[in-house]
Amino acid sequence: MAKKIESGKENKKQKSRPVSGEMSYRLKCAKTANGLSHFVMYGDVPKEKTLL
Amino acid sequence: MITKGLSCLQNNDTQATVIDPDNVFWAMTAKDAQGAPFVSREILSLYQKQKDSLDEEMKQFRFSAELSAVYIDPTDRCNSNCPYCYVPAKMRKNGAQMTTEQLRQVLNKVLDYFSGKERKPVIIFHASEPLLAKEAVFSAIREFKDKFSFGLQTNGLLLEKGDVEFLKKYRVGVGISLDAPLRSLNNKTRPSASSGFAARRAPRGEPSVKGGNFDAVVRAIEWFDGYAGLNVISTMTKFNIHSLDKMVRFLHSKKVPCVLFNPVRFTQKHSLKVKPDEKLMTKNFLKAVDSAIELSQNSGRRIIVANFSNVILSIVAPEARRMMCDISPCGGGRCFLTVTASGEMIPCGEFIGLKNSSGGNIFKTGIKEAMQSEPFQKIRSRFVEKIAECDVCLYRNICGAPCPAELGSMGNMFQKAVFCEFYKAIIKHAFKLIAEGKEKYCFREEGWDNLVYNYKLL
Repeated sequence: MAKKIESGKENKKQKSRPVSGEMSYRLKCAKTANGLSHFVMYGDVPKEKTLL
Repeated sequence: MITKGLSCLQNNDTQATVIDPDNVFWAMTAKDAQGAPFVSREILSLYQKQKDSLDEEMKQFRFSAELSAVYIDPTDRCNSNCPYCYVPAKMRKNGAQMTTEQLRQVLNKVLDYFSGKERKPVIIFHASEPLLAKEAVFSAIREFKDKFSFGLQTNGLLLEKGDVEFLKKYRVGVGISLDAPLRSLNNKTRPSASSGFAARRAPRGEPSVKGGNFDAVVRAIEWFDGYAGLNVISTMTKFNIHSLDKMVRFLHSKKVPCVLFNPVRFTQKHSLKVKPDEKLMTKNFLKAVDSAIELSQNSGRRIIVANFSNVILSIVAPEARRMMCDISPCGGGRCFLTVTASGEMIPCGEFIGLKNSSGGNIFKTGIKEAMQSEPFQKIRSRFVEKIAECDVCLYRNICGAPCPAELGSMGNMFQKAVFCEFYKAIIKHAFKLIAEGKEKYCFREEGWDNLVYNYKLL
């Protein structure tokens, strides 16, 4: 059965997948902090509602 | 062996992954009756459609030299004496230390470099122990709070409650060093300096820091109380690899959102004494990763193993990576540099004890000149296609073969990573977790939510 190939910005809802499924995907950052994605490390601390 | 275009990774008896190692296009697919991967028309069509843009994106990501962060060592001195430290012992004992005014000069030079650029630069105060220059560091954070995003890497020995409040108030990213969830085990590899000056500097009325940093760090973690900008850095050695799983559970119970388990590096020969068995390290690391996923999935509060998260990212969103050790060429002298306490600009802190690494002194010249200097160009010219074993490895743009400083100090930076088999095993595990749909638990929720599909075939 043909799979649907999609591209472009789209929110994702992820569920557990069967181990034998066919799949491929690539993600990119929707928005960035200082031009960089903000995941884990230094300089990426999310600002709280109360600004400094 | 040809590893251009699509090649096949063996997953299990019924499933395979095809990958283009140059741009990390990948697809999981079933195997046919003969055990060969069945690559459907949809996968081939997707690959052909995406290949050129993925090639270009990867090229830009790997070979652009756009600086985004500057590590500053405000002091060469340290109040710890860790057996694997890459900073030479003499330097840690008697090295230079910046004054408040010198640190201001450095930060203004960095501002000059970034003038007119959109990007807000990141400043990270780093090794040896930056809180020995606490007054200068905190003064800089106060003065430059709107100009930079700040980070601090500390052994925690000198952290006081007021400091933690200050760091939280200014939204500073804080990396704190802890190697094990047990005092006796941790303090073996995170001991205080033998001179005893660390103990003398302990705040009045506070527990002595003599022995190691365990008590000080645990106390600080409790003060941070789930702060989103906190991460714990553990160096994996022969001593602590059996306690990684316990460490994850311990940190999760203390509301720490992020931990890194970094394999010890052998940039200084003495660290060979604490080298872990690679297979045992791999097994225990993956057990800790699985525990972190289980806790994140079931407890309602996440803890991520950040260096594993970066491996997942290198597969599903390679250009979103921030940690630069597993990109080839690495980020040293390309995306970041280190300024030592005496002002020398080196590609990465790991080079501090190595000769011919300086790209100039920031008190005499500029960052632009350092970026164009021969030592910086040399590091940028070290990439996986120049390493025989890596050039034919399907994982070459996921692992990146770290680290040039370490391998250079061992005689030749054009060789594969010391823990090559460790990296291969964790990449295989990452593909397994992706197949199971568990990758989202390897990220902070806001990080995962911030990603959108470039393309998908699900």
